[in-house]
Amino acid sequence: MKEKYIHILSIAGVVCGFVFITFLYWAEPRSLAEVTSKGQVVIGTYSIDKAEFDRGVTAFRAEDFAAARAAFDRADPEKRDAATQFYVAYSYYRQGWGRVSSDDKLFAQGIAAVDRVIAIDPNFRSSDGALTMKTPTELKTELDEGLKLTPSDLNPLKLMKERK
Amino acid sequence: MQDESLFDKPLDEIEQVEAETSVAARRMPLTSAPQTALRTYIVLPAIFLAVTLLGGLRLGAADNAFIFLKPALICLVFASAMLVLFVRGGLIEIAGWFSEEFSTVRNAANAGVLLTLFSATVQIFNSLIPEQGLPFWVIGFCFLWTIWNNLFLDLDTKKLLRSVGGLFALAFFAKYLVLANLTATGDAGWLQRMIQDPAKEAFTWLLDLPRYSAGTGYLQFFAIALYLLGLYLTPRRTEK
Repeated sequence: MKEKYIHILSIAGVVCGFVFITFLYWAEPRSLAEVTSKGQVVIGTYSIDKAEFDRGVTAFRAEDFAAARAAFDRADPEKRDAATQFYVAYSYYRQGWGRVSSDDKLFAQGIAAVDRVIAIDPNFRSSDGALTMKTPTELKTELDEGLKLTPSDLNPLKLMKERK
Repeated sequence: MQDESLFDKPLDEIEQVEAETSVAARRMPLTSAPQTALRTYIVLPAIFLAVTLLGGLRLGAADNAFIFLKPALICLVFASAMLVLFVRGGLIEIAGWFSEEFSTVRNAANAGVLLTLFSATVQIFNSLIPEQGLPFWVIGFCFLWTIWNNLFLDLDTKKLLRSVGGLFALAFFAKYLVLANLTATGDAGWLQRMIQDPAKEAFTWLLDLPRYSAGTGYLQFFAIALYLLGLYLTPRRTEK
């Protein structure tokens, strides 16, 4: 091989190597599987696993929220799909909702998830007819209300409220 | 062609010169230009890039998950000082790597190789200097002291390589054998760890030691061995 070609190959190899290493240290994948998914995000070919997503929706409708979230995590490991993250947030709301008091820990996780939805797509609107709240703003308001301690919490009529 | 000065010498002296020449020839076999180029431009950057990748990689104590640690600023300072040391020690001759007589592509390729050497050196310091707490300052200071001293010594290439090898071996021993064995690992609760091994837990807390899995030490041993191999293969100059 001519030396000139070796030099060109060397430059290309060094550039590619540095790009790959910079990507790894920037994306900080925690496993080899994450290297692939984060790589897909960078090159713009990332998409959710539809089968896992459907499994998650089925578990969500069956009120098995932990299983639903596990399926949604498998469907969207990079947490970049607004619809999936909306379901995750909604699952925290439904699981944490209580007629007398709500589970603050689950609601806080719900807020983190709904914040992700707002960051991904602020105009997101769910097409699922079974959900009462369609937008992340509505869901976030409901979750925020659940976390606040106000005099209206003592209102006995609140026992009549329904989960959305 | 015969060396004419040999005609004036006695026979036994000529035989000695020939014997020395043959020994020297065996120790430094002639390598063809493409082979040398492949070694310098393909193998060397690959080695140094591998070290760059591995130097900041740790494995989590609980689940062996990858943890990529970006180098601290001091690692860049140490790496720069090491490159100066390499030039002063004769491991690298700048005029043999960059020249107006070389083509632009060749100069760029040489710059690429030296860039990988620099990044690998940064990551080796990232690997060897403890991440935080008192050990970071103590070992960082030891490195500073040694490198600063070496900068003013007249080192030849062999002594420099031995010195660097010894320095890195000692730092590896301190971090991955001594400090790692003082660190409490496992995902048990704080109280449980305290009951099981109070000394380790106390050292971990006092020295602010991060918890990594045992595999980290093996990875870093491999990275340091690769780096030293890369230094050994680095030519002084790249001229034909």
